[in-house]
Amino acid sequence: MNDTGDIDWAARNTVVGKRLARVDAGERVTGTARYPADMKLPGMLHAKVLRSPHAHARIMRIDTGPALALDGVKAIVTANDFNDIPVGATIPMGEAGYDMWMVARINIAKDKVFWVGQPVAYVAATDPHIAEAALDLIAVDYEPLAAVMDIDAAMAPGAPIIHENVVTTGVEQPPHGHHGPSNICSRTVIERGLPGIAMEAAFATTSIEVRIDTAHQGYIEPQAMLAAVDANGMATVWASTQGQHTTEIMIARMLDRPQSRLKVVPLEIGGGFGGKIAIHGEAACVRLSELTGRPVRLVLTREEVFQGGSGPPAAARHRITVGAEPDGSLVAIDGLYHMDAGGLPGLSPGLMMQASAALYQCPNLRLEGYDIVTNKPRTEAYRGPGGIQAYFAMEQAMDALCQRLDIDPLAFRQRNAAVTGSTMPIGTPFPSIGLTTILDHVARHPCWTDPLPTGDMPRGRGLALGYWRGTSMTSACQISIAGDGRPMVTMGSADISGTRTTMAQVAAEQFQLAIGDVHVAMGDTKSVGYSDGAAGSRLARTMAAAVVEASTKALDVLRSRAARLLQADPGALTYAKGTFRQAASSGSEISLAEIMQATLTEGAIIETGVSTKLPLGVEVGAHVADVEVDSETGQVTVLRYTAFQDVGRALNPAAVEGQIEGSVVQGLGWALTEGFDYGADGRLRNASMLDYRMPTALDVPPIDTVIIETPVPDVPYGLRGVGEVPIVPVAGCIANAIARAIGTRVTEMPMTPERVLRAIRQSAS
Amino acid sequence: MNRILMSCRVNGEDHTCLADPRDTLLELLRERLQLTGTKEGCGNGNCGSCTVLVDGAAVCACLVLAGEAQGVEVTTVEGLAASGGGRHPVQQALIDHGGTQCGFCTPGIIMSAVALLRENPDPTDAEIRHAIAGNICRCTGYEKIVRAIASAAAEIRS
Repeated sequence: MNDTGDIDWAARNTVVGKRLARVDAGERVTGTARYPADMKLPGMLHAKVLRSPHAHARIMRIDTGPALALDGVKAIVTANDFNDIPVGATIPMGEAGYDMWMVARINIAKDKVFWVGQPVAYVAATDPHIAEAALDLIAVDYEPLAAVMDIDAAMAPGAPIIHENVVTTGVEQPPHGHHGPSNICSRTVIERGLPGIAMEAAFATTSIEVRIDTAHQGYIEPQAMLAAVDANGMATVWASTQGQHTTEIMIARMLDRPQSRLKVVPLEIGGGFGGKIAIHGEAACVRLSELTGRPVRLVLTREEVFQGGSGPPAAARHRITVGAEPDGSLVAIDGLYHMDAGGLPGLSPGLMMQASAALYQCPNLRLEGYDIVTNKPRTEAYRGPGGIQAYFAMEQAMDALCQRLDIDPLAFRQRNAAVTGSTMPIGTPFPSIGLTTILDHVARHPCWTDPLPTGDMPRGRGLALGYWRGTSMTSACQISIAGDGRPMVTMGSADISGTRTTMAQVAAEQFQLAIGDVHVAMGDTKSVGYSDGAAGSRLARTMAAAVVEASTKALDVLRSRAARLLQADPGALTYAKGTFRQAASSGSEISLAEIMQATLTEGAIIETGVSTKLPLGVEVGAHVADVEVDSETGQVTVLRYTAFQDVGRALNPAAVEGQIEGSVVQGLGWALTEGFDYGADGRLRNASMLDYRMPTALDVPPIDTVIIETPVPDVPYGLRGVGEVPIVPVAGCIANAIARAIGTRVTEMPMTPERVLRAIRQSAS
Repeated sequence: MNRILMSCRVNGEDHTCLADPRDTLLELLRERLQLTGTKEGCGNGNCGSCTVLVDGAAVCACLVLAGEAQGVEVTTVEGLAASGGGRHPVQQALIDHGGTQCGFCTPGIIMSAVALLRENPDPTDAEIRHAIAGNICRCTGYEKIVRAIASAAAEIRS
């Protein structure tokens, strides 16, 4: 469903901004879209992964002999078959680089295992059943060590140490009085004004402490890959990845393989959401292919994906305290954030901390965050990483403050809202931001103005905001002009959110052609320039800039060829809808097709576009939900849900709605039902889609979306990021609705019936 | 393990092949018959990505052993277009309504919807949601899928 607010989409007469079907939808509905698990090559071997049965153990010995002797087993690799990546090694990726030691260890354990499911060996065999049988024949001697399974246990004095080489960074006083190894990997502090004094002097304060379980991105396609090394040593990997170039770098580093001898071909990706940025077996498949001379395919099972074979988003424990004047003016925010990184350090909480407080103008704030290791799978990104967890805490604290002051929660946000130029948590002025416009839309929307319908059971209406900074980084494309004059766009990045469609719209607009006259494809790493991955809500914005640049350059070349063919001055030609015309009265003209028919054999037209350091397009959303709570069972039913989001400009409103609706439903899942349940032995007890309960069509209402457009200056079409922020407010929004229904706060997420019921009973007693 | 000789009718064509007795119908379709439109998302019958029609009923192909499929009639997503000479209305509606994003759950959703509309040509939204409740989609939030199936139902009725 869609409520378009003040925008009249039908009046849009440009290709950009139109509601158009995906250009790649035909393959998807006919089963012909190709994902790596669908690929098969002659002589192909099947790989399987031996995974750690222990949460924490030293690997004493691995004997692959009996497994190698099994008929049909062709090769086995362990840590010794990979480059020895040192702690602290990074690869270039974005502003901060990417932790290559982490990538290495999520792909293969060396000396120690840090979680149940960490890979220990990979087998390649002629048949998947044989590869599976071989796993049982690999003998591994472990020395089991005590494990720590949550933040509290990891931080306790005397806790078993997971990494002997990790010493807490960012502290003057070490946590346990000595500078020895610790499970507390880093501390980050952001402070402005005099938060302690301001909080003390505040008229009213509220404080909330929340605990959030580890969850999962829940992409339906398990990781899958196919690698083939040819007789000349050239390796090709067909991957389901959010970034073909970054995947190439990771594989190359793990194998010490020259990048010129490695090509990554992106195929369709069956959902990623942050979980398919890092590689999960690709390097091993290349090594197995090198050893056997045969193609090797690896397809993970769902149990593997959940049980340590992929990186879930982080569990967390946050405490937020906020203080205000009687009129609701915020005076201080104090946030204490603990993020559970899983088995390897490096989950920097700084961006998430800033994001959590970004939407409020507040003169005094102190944000303190910790990166903690536990014996769980190393966490990876999930749609605005850390955002939904932080806003579950922040928006509940703000809502509780509104209740304390008896102030309308929307009026409270309007009073304290960040605006363009106001001070961000780190002290710099806010770039273009349309929060107050969003709040004005909420104020006049029926989801807010309609009275909450009464029912037999308690009901409540919640409001929450969300912010995500996003990033820009590098995107590249090239445009070649086909012999019939049509532009062919090749992107250096993967398509996880309909980017081929939106870029076809951008190119069609630049060339003034119909979208069907433009072709857009994902390129492999040897045919198009370096691009960072599809992550950080960056791709449509930055790739649009690259497509605009390449289109402009290609049209310039076409113009000069047209001028020569028409014997005219290039500057005297006008271009419209695929044809160059002489402005003068002679009236001669030439189409792109005619230009190419006449000049193709002179040489191709291939032009590139590269976008780096595009201005940020920060994302802001506001969500409103009505819920009903069964006070007998604790079951929460979402009755109505409306998401408002400023997207700068919607390249394709149908695609924007698709991102928002899907994102909200993912958020509802984590808010209400999705949580990993780890036993004390480190084993995940709900490693199936039956027991890890993602929303079905019966569990969620239709999601209403309201698209708002506040363009970002100096960005093509004024685009903002879209894909991440719509998950950020969801859990806080539902929690606030629940609190207003039952009169008490649920501070554990997911807010399962059991936890809601416990909160109801505790408040009654 | 000794291979078994399998015969079944898939998308209107007779197939005979050697299968491993441990193969599921899903593996038979994907690995032996190269019909890769049917996807594996969980292997446990929880996600619905492998939904196919077996003698007209929507079932998870990962829960059927290949050996059990001896002599049955199977329809996969590849078989819909072949039988109608073009796209099935459910396929076209999913395109038109933005009901497919990453596309991995889409073939299973289509087969569940086709089975529903054969039984119930005029379903309510609640009946549509019930029919696809066994198909997990992580991208769309379901609403555009529900709209697409409702529209396809209207198209078939007209």
